[in-house]
Formats: sequence, structure tokens, C-alpha cells
Amino acid sequence: MIALNENTDLAMNVKNLNLWYGKNQALFDVSMPIRRNKITALIGPSGCGKSTLIRAFNRMNDLVDGCRVEGLVEYNGQNIYGPEADVLEVRTRIGMIFQSPNPFPMTIRDNITYGPKIHGIKDQKKLDKIVEESLRKAALWDEVKDRLNTYAMKLSGGQQQRLCIARALSINPDVLLMDEPTSALDPLATKKIEELAVQLAEEYTVVIVTHNMQQAQRIADYTAFMYLGELAEFGETEQIFNDPKNELTKNYIHGVFS
Amino acid sequence: MASSDMAFGFEEVGKTGAGLETPDVKGRSINSRRFNPDTIPKLVLTATALSAVVIVFFIIVYIAGLSLPAFREVGVWEFVTGDRWQPSHGYYGALPLITGTVLVTAGSIMFAVPLGVGSAIYLSEIASERVRNILKPVCEVFAGIPSVVYGFFGMIVLCPILLGLFPDQLKYSTSWLAGSILLGIMALPTVISVSEDAIRAVPVSYRRASLAMGATGWETTTKVVLPAASSGVIAAVILGIGRAMGETMAVIMVSGNSPIIPEPLFNIFSNIRTLTATVALEMPEVVYNGIHYSSLFAVALLLLVSVIIVNLTANAIGRRTRRRLGMVKASKYSLDIKGRILDRIDDKTLSEIHRVKPKVRTILSAALLFALSSMMLSLFVSVNMALLLAGALTAGFVLVTRALRYVSSTEKQTAAHTSLKVLMILVLILLAVIIGDILVKGLPAISTDFIFGMPSNSGREGGIWPAITGTLELIALTAAIALPMGVGAGVYLSQYARENKFTRTVRNAVDALNGTPSIVFGLFGMSALVMALGWGYSVIAGSVTLAFMILPVIIKTTEQAVSAVPRSLIEASMAMGSSKWQAIYKVVLPAALGGVITGIILSLGRAAGETAPIMFTAAVAFKSQVSFSLFEPIMALPYHLYFLASEVTGSTANQYGTAVVLLGIVLSMFLVASLVRHHYSKNTKW
Repeated sequence: MIALNENTDLAMNVKNLNLWYGKNQALFDVSMPIRRNKITALIGPSGCGKSTLIRAFNRMNDLVDGCRVEGLVEYNGQNIYGPEADVLEVRTRIGMIFQSPNPFPMTIRDNITYGPKIHGIKDQKKLDKIVEESLRKAALWDEVKDRLNTYAMKLSGGQQQRLCIARALSINPDVLLMDEPTSALDPLATKKIEELAVQLAEEYTVVIVTHNMQQAQRIADYTAFMYLGELAEFGETEQIFNDPKNELTKNYIHGVFS
Repeated sequence: MASSDMAFGFEEVGKTGAGLETPDVKGRSINSRRFNPDTIPKLVLTATALSAVVIVFFIIVYIAGLSLPAFREVGVWEFVTGDRWQPSHGYYGALPLITGTVLVTAGSIMFAVPLGVGSAIYLSEIASERVRNILKPVCEVFAGIPSVVYGFFGMIVLCPILLGLFPDQLKYSTSWLAGSILLGIMALPTVISVSEDAIRAVPVSYRRASLAMGATGWETTTKVVLPAASSGVIAAVILGIGRAMGETMAVIMVSGNSPIIPEPLFNIFSNIRTLTATVALEMPEVVYNGIHYSSLFAVALLLLVSVIIVNLTANAIGRRTRRRLGMVKASKYSLDIKGRILDRIDDKTLSEIHRVKPKVRTILSAALLFALSSMMLSLFVSVNMALLLAGALTAGFVLVTRALRYVSSTEKQTAAHTSLKVLMILVLILLAVIIGDILVKGLPAISTDFIFGMPSNSGREGGIWPAITGTLELIALTAAIALPMGVGAGVYLSQYARENKFTRTVRNAVDALNGTPSIVFGLFGMSALVMALGWGYSVIAGSVTLAFMILPVIIKTTEQAVSAVPRSLIEASMAMGSSKWQAIYKVVLPAALGGVITGIILSLGRAAGETAPIMFTAAVAFKSQVSFSLFEPIMALPYHLYFLASEVTGSTANQYGTAVVLLGIVLSMFLVASLVRHHYSKNTKW
């Protein structure tokens, strides 16, 4: 379908991924590439498996009882589900932003230093640097630099979500998975997060699940259209939206169903 | 953990960061499988949960096992239906005791339901937010008063008042009536707070829908809100029943303890004896391992089984309301059989009650009123006269209900609101009288000599220092034993346990033991720890007994507090490569700390005020010096108060003084708990 330069081009590669929750199969034979320093969007109607798929990218589905996976999800050419793979290391390299902002009930600073501390960084200066750096990258520094010791719950919803992004950046991941990061936000806050995602893609590889087709169109380089647990179509965003090959994709994009 | 992290180099965090070195992380291998850091915490937590479960089952099996000889000797049927309880003559018929428990409980419900449910409706539907925020915690003070203090109040204030009111009817100052009033007051906090929660759980949208159709507030309350909350309110009443049934100290001190069936059965002025009282009174006299000894276990088993049935029913009904109102997901706690029983109770009985036609309802309540009032009146006047008066009363009642039809709905609302307010005020007056009496008469007794002095002249003079230190010692040791196990098991249940048979069994066992009468624990501690293990009357035996008693509460509150922390926080932590235990330890536990600590302090407060579990395991009437040794008996405030009140005449001043100190310790623990809850609720809202 698309020519790949496996060595330099791909951050992740999904091959024939099947996933079951107990007896229900949620993903059917999904194969797709995730390109380095690009934004890949997953779209599709509710219940199509896009959230399940993105959660399979850093093994968050392991937390669900009775979840079973077949197939490969490769990161740097190594299967993250392989017997040798360390799930904690997988999640350290492949970070995640969640649907609604979920800052820890701690101060802003403690939210950011949490991850580095987990991974053994104790030096206060280094931690301060990480706090500033991460908040800057998440475009939140100027708004909160004077109140790093206030509780994160006091921030607005949009600020909380950017704090969560900063928190994910604090341990310097390679890939950022965003599971409908703007679904709980107002249009202005959404715009900020979108701009941020584009910026972050210069340095990170971004995968984003979105319910909002305009959002995918605005920011994604590649788009995957999921339907009933299958990958119906994958391609460059422009092609998916302007010249969909699959009848289902066409109908979804034109709003025949949603 | 730290060193292996260094191996893959967290020096490199912040690769474009100002001045941070950035080796190539992108090509780094993920195949560095380490020892799973979650293994050990999971193992430890599983072990604590397992030991908690073993203890729970062991207690139940132990009690059942030791009751076998009595059942074998006497026969189960004869034991339950025999109407003569005279162990010294070889008669083991528990019917008088069962009757006593049923009657005193039924009586207490007559007091607790109108006052409790009325206050709950007032608090949730009528009172302003500000009034509610003040009155609800005030009502919870009832729950903080130790039962021995209630008993003391009953003995010294309530019984004399009743004797003054009914000099011709009462043979002694003690009576079933006194027991019922006291137990009714003690059941109030349970009834008020559980039914208030149930009523407030009804969605506001129901109320708005009703008001929007022109219904008055009172019509909305009676026709929409209360029916929707009915099973929750019923659960509250059943929990209150469970509380009253299991009570020991208060009932011993005011109801006379004669193992007789009242003559006639509704003679509320008769003395009676409950199952709990029998265990508490006869335990010190029995021959170890004899039939009498075993028969007390049989009595405890009856008690245990009835309270467990009552509590499980209440829990299941309450859960059902919440589920029906969409507040919790189905089935986390519920047991299959329970569900089926409830289907029957809930769907048929309850809805039939609602469907009963107004006319039928009037006839039923009139009949009930007639029966009750004629019974009560016949205790005062001749039977014919009683029937006549009761008939007149009932006729009056029916007329008034008929006349209500011509009263406008706003006037009805005013009348209803006023009467509910009166009920609420009555409750507050009761509380003020109990606390006020003890403070007014007790505070003058407090002095440094009293606090720090040794008792003398059988406790009539001198101080209570050894009892204070003894109680503190008990609390500390109880905490040391119960906390690790209870918190560990709670965290395990909330975070690690899968939903399977084992977990359901654990939850049901915890539910079952939560609310087991404290005297049952006392009996277990006496038999297993003091006698079988040979610990003797000792701090350690008392603390272990108390720890077992509060274990279910700690497990349950910990589990609830930890489960209330959103799952998304664990996911956020684990998405950064933390282990599950790190997520729990660093994010979830701190977030749940307020709830966990509140639960711990409340249960320790309860342990501090308990008498029944320590009276045969740790407490003695006198100690000449303060000493700290695990295997020595101690004095303790609740037992000291019981001892002075029931055995030492002429010690009234010191009784009040002891009551004040005990009340002070327990209520300040409750105060601390509510401050903690308030403090933590400020920064954690989800």
C-alpha cells in the first residue's frame, strides 16, 4: 500500500493484530505503520475499536482482566508483546494522554516530577529543570510558573489537559498516544491542544484518537479509519478525506452514519 | 528498582532540555525484562487479605464448633423452643432469651423509626443546606457515645424517670420499656444517616419533574421521593434493628435481666433478658468446657446468625436502591442467592405496599393502632375499659384521616413540615439531655487528682489514672494489630483482587462480620485467647479481640476509599512506566488517605468505648499500680464505668467523672476523624 523505509521511517509497526476481551473479539487483523515524527489519527464511529487499538500500542489493555492479544506491535523493530519485552519499559517509551484530564491530586510540580522520581531521579536541580522544560513544551509554563505549588485540580480543564501532556513529556517518551484528548474541552482549549500536538510532532511521534473528523483533517499526516474492529482504510490524511477508496470511509466522512 | 533504572539510564531525561545530555534513546531496546517490581507487594497484600479471611472464618467456625455439645445434649429444637432458662438446674431453653431480644428490638424500633426517619426526611427535604450541614454531624454524635455510657445514663436518669411516671406498673426500676427506649436512641444515628443518604440519592430531576406539574413540596416528598428511596429507608431501619439486637452493655444495665417471657407478652413494664445479656452475665460463672459453657456459644451462634441475616439483607436492599437509581454498577458486592431473595422482597412486597389502595391502607393502620393501643391501655386499666378507649382513639384517627381530604395541599404541607421539625427537635433534645446531664454532673468531678490518681475505697474515691492508661494501651495495641492487616486487605480487594468466587466470599465474610455483636467477639476472645492459648486476662488478649472486631470496618472503609480514586489516575501513572504498586503507593493511597484515616480513627474510637469485648479478656476492676506488660490485665475506662455503676453503690460522683473522661476521649477521636475528612475533601474532588 505505502512504501516503507523500515529502518528510519517507522516508530511503530502493527502487524495482524487481533485482540479479545474475554470471548468478544474487539480488533480484527489490524496492520498499519506509525511513522516517526508524524501525527497519525485514528477515526471511526463509537465502538469501532479505535480506543482499544491505541491502548494496545502501550499495553494499557493488560490492565483489563481477560484481555488477550495475537499478532505483532513492533516498536523499533521489537515486539512489545514479545516474551522478552518489559511492559514498564514499553510504557516509559510510549506515553499516553487520556480522554478527560486526569491530573494526580497533588501540586502542579509534584504532577510533573512524579514520573522522573518513579524512574529514579532524585536530584532537585534536575527535577526543577524537567518541570520547567516539560511545562514549556506543553505551552503551560507561562500560565503556571508562579504557582507550581498549588493543587492541579484548581486549573481549568484545558490547563489540566496540558498539564497531563507535560506530565507525559516529563519522562521523555518517544511516542505520545492521545486518546481523544480534547473530548472534554471547550473549542478554545481544543485549539490550543491541537496546536500543541502539531508542535510536539517535530520532536515526538504522535498517535491521536479523535471523534472529530475536522480535527483529524486539521492536524494529522496520516489517518486510519476503523470500522467494527477492522482497519477499513489507512492512508495520508488528504487522500482519506478527499479520495477515500473504501465505500464505508466515504459514507462516514460524508456523514451518512456516525 | 533504582539501580536497574540507572542501567537504562535516566540520566537522559529531557533530551532537548536546557543543558541535559541526551544520548540516543530512540533506538533503545525495550527488551530489558527485569524482575517484576509488582510481585512482592502483591504477595504481601494477598497474604494479609488471606489472613484476614482466615480470621473471619475461624471465628465463625470456632463459635459454631463450641456450640455443638450443647445442641447435641439439649437438641436444637428443644434449645430454641424450651421456655425455661435455668442452667444451674440443667434447663437450657432459650425461648425467653430469644423473646427478650425480639421484644426489646421491636420496642426500640417503635422509637427509632418515627424519630429517625422523620429527622432524615426533615434533614434531606426541608432543612436548608446550612442547617443540614450543622445538624447532620450533630446527629452523628449519637453514634460516638459508647454503649456503656448510654447504659449508665439509662440507669441513673431514664429508669428513675420511668419509675416516677409509672409507679403502679413497674415492679423494679428496670424494664423492657427502658431497654427499648435506650436501644431506640442508640439505633437513631444508623437510621438517620442511612435513610438520609438514601433519600438524598434520589435524583433532583425527579423532584423537579414533580414540582413542574404543580405538586407541592410535600406531595413530591411523599409521592415521588420516598417511594424511590423506600428500599434504602427500609435498609436503614433493618440496620438499626441489627444494631439494637447486638447491643449488650446498655441493655444489661436497664432491662433487669430476668430470663422470663413477659406476662402478658406485651407487658412493656416487665423485666426481660436478651441473648447478648445472657452471654455477658453468665460467662464469668461457667465451668470451662461444660454444657453451660457450650450453651453460651449456642446463644452466641443464634445471635450471630440472626444479625448476619439482618445485616446482609439490609446491605443488599440498600445496594439495590443505589443500583436502581443508577449510582453504582451492578453486582460488585452482591451474592446470587441474596439477589434472588431480594427480587422477591423488592419486586413483589415493596411494590405491593406502594400499590395498596388508600382505603385499605387506612383500614390497616387503624387496625394496627387499635391493637397496639388496646394492648398498652390494658396495662393501666381493665380490659373492657382499654378496648373502649382504644376504639375511641381509633375512631378519632379515622375521622381525622377522612377530614384531611378537605384540607388544602399547602396546609397539609405546613402541618407535615411542622411535625417533622418537631421530631427533629425531639432528637436534638434527647442528645442535649444525655450529653448535658453527663457534662453538668461529671465535670465537677474532674480534677488532677481524679485524672492522675489511683482509685481507692472500691473506686468511690481517688482517681482513674490506671483506667486511662489502660484504655490508651488497648487502643495503641489494637491499632498496631488491626491496621496493617485491615488496610492491606482493603487495598488488595480494591486493586488486586479479580472478580471471582474467592473475592465474593471475602466481601461477604467481611460484610457478615461487620456489625457482629461485640459480645460475640468477647466470648471468642475469652475462650480462644484467654483460655485455649493461655494468655489469661491480658492487654494482648483484649487488643487482639478488639482488633478482630474492627478488622471488617477497616477493610471495608479502606476498600471504599481506595476504590473511590478514579482508575484513570492509575492508568496515568502506569502509562509512564510505573509498576502497579508504585501507582498505588504514590498516587492512589495518598489520594485515598483521608477516607482511610477517617475510617481508622472512627473504628479505633469505637474500640476505645467498647466494654463487652474486654470484660472477659483484659479488664479487671482494680489495679494497684500502672504497669506496661502485654500479659498483664489492665483497668479500662468503659469497664471501670460499668463496674462502678453496677457494683459499687455510693460512687456516683466518680461514675460521672469516668463517663466524662471516656466520652471526651471517644468524641475527640470522632472530632479528629471529621476534621481529617474535611481537610482531605478540599483538595480531592472527582
